[in-house]
Amino acid sequence: MGQLTPLRRRATLTLVMLLAGLAAAPAPAAASELVVIVSARSPVTALRPDQVAAIFLGQSVRFPDGAEAIPLDQRLGAPLRDEFYLRVTSKTPPLLKAWWSKMVFTGRGQPPAEVADSAAVRRRVADNPGLVGYIDRSALDASVRPVLVVQ
Amino acid sequence: MQHSFRGHHLTASLLALALGAGFDAHAEVAGDGAPSVAVSGFGTVGVVHSSEEHADYIASALKSNGAGATRRWSGDVDTRLGLQLDAALDKRWSAVLQLVSEMDLDNSYRPRVEWANIKYQVTPELALRLGRVALPMFLTAEYRKVGYIYPWVRPPVESYGTLPFTSGDGIDANLRWNLGPVRNTSQIFFGHADQKLVDPMRGYARRVFGLANTSDWGALSVRASLLGGEATAAIADQLFDALDASGPAGAALTRAYAIDHKQISVASIGANYDPGTWFLMAEASRTRTHSLLGATRSIYASAGWRHGTLTPYLTWSHVRAVGATSSPGLPLAGLPPQVAGQVAALNAGLNQLLGTVPQQTSVSAGLRWDLRANTALKLQYDRASPHAGSHGTLTNLTPGFQPGRTIHVASVAIDFVY
Repeated sequence: MGQLTPLRRRATLTLVMLLAGLAAAPAPAAASELVVIVSARSPVTALRPDQVAAIFLGQSVRFPDGAEAIPLDQRLGAPLRDEFYLRVTSKTPPLLKAWWSKMVFTGRGQPPAEVADSAAVRRRVADNPGLVGYIDRSALDASVRPVLVVQ
Repeated sequence: MQHSFRGHHLTASLLALALGAGFDAHAEVAGDGAPSVAVSGFGTVGVVHSSEEHADYIASALKSNGAGATRRWSGDVDTRLGLQLDAALDKRWSAVLQLVSEMDLDNSYRPRVEWANIKYQVTPELALRLGRVALPMFLTAEYRKVGYIYPWVRPPVESYGTLPFTSGDGIDANLRWNLGPVRNTSQIFFGHADQKLVDPMRGYARRVFGLANTSDWGALSVRASLLGGEATAAIADQLFDALDASGPAGAALTRAYAIDHKQISVASIGANYDPGTWFLMAEASRTRTHSLLGATRSIYASAGWRHGTLTPYLTWSHVRAVGATSSPGLPLAGLPPQVAGQVAALNAGLNQLLGTVPQQTSVSAGLRWDLRANTALKLQYDRASPHAGSHGTLTNLTPGFQPGRTIHVASVAIDFVY
């Protein structure tokens, strides 16, 4: 075996980094891991999918412990958002739009506020123990607590 | 015509206002208690064709005309535009204003204030509203004007078309509560309702009392409602004046049929099962009016399947009278011929009114196509069969009309929300 030339070594290194990067990078939307989060300062430790669905559909305004719960959405059209609602509420974007139209046009509520991406959701949720959001698992850090891994 | 034109102009202005203001809509982050204003709206552009050329097919008794006799293709059956302003002052106080422009009994599209109320959120579960609010009725009545929400072109006319009063002025309370896994919303309303008929005629309902409860359990939603009130409407005043003048027997007919301080009630129970890929919906209702509006029972069932952006659906819907739809009227025996003729005309007039109590069965097939996340295109075919001599939900009968004929109705509609 001959020694690797610097050029070949660099190419190999790049390939290894690329492969490692692929493994660590968020997988395509269909396979990404979604977690529902609350602030690390919140006493809430776990939520069931139906509890999360009720909070995000405006049917429930409290965590199971009685504290007020305010949902925070990812921006409209984000693949993560569509996946979250499909898995947790069985609603496609048009069905979700119809749901919120029903709430808005019967005076029962307004849809959750939206922020740009998982990092923005995490920042907002970390700052406010009343908020609940959903993010890509890769965006988790110690400032927030996962309370449900969305299957 | 002038009215109609002005109406369209107003509609256009409303749309411009909504689109202009729309840039700021929903920009505010909720939950922080800062004042915010949200602008939203809804609309339907639809055309309807009816095979019956001697009467108009309408979706609501509050329309001056529809498809069939007035126009073979009518844009007035379903077309409407709604605009809603939601203002949140802080976490507890908010206000809503909703304007709706659609064909009315005056053949105009003059916008009507559908809702105008202030809401006080006592707790996260309990809200009080004061002002004009949606009346608690039926499964889909509160949002019957927002076509985008439901799968059909319009809610089944046999249940929803006959008592098209949608809002009332008063106070209501909404309470959310949980019973194990069942999430409930209960509503109670007290107030009055005032509905413009053909200008300057109005229909009033005093002491309107409404109760409704919606229970959601997973994909299942069940709603029961009861609405009552004391109604007065100057419909066929001249006929009833003449009956009163004819003597005690005529006065008794007036008491039986005039809409004069009559206790009316509407009760309904409906269920919707919607796990996402399909839905099944059914609702039964009963109305009592102690007047020429009659007493009816109606029921419908509807099912649909969602394949991507397409939702084909089928609906069966039925309404029948459970009260009088005809009257022997005043006895003619022993009257002088000239008087007998006048009395017979009164009897005929009364029976014509009673004949408007709808009795009809419809089978509908349709397809909803979700074009975008806020726009849907719908095609629907209705086969409506008025029965028992009734002319069903048809109006504007012309002399050539023959009762009992089946009507074929085709509808195309685009529904949107913004």
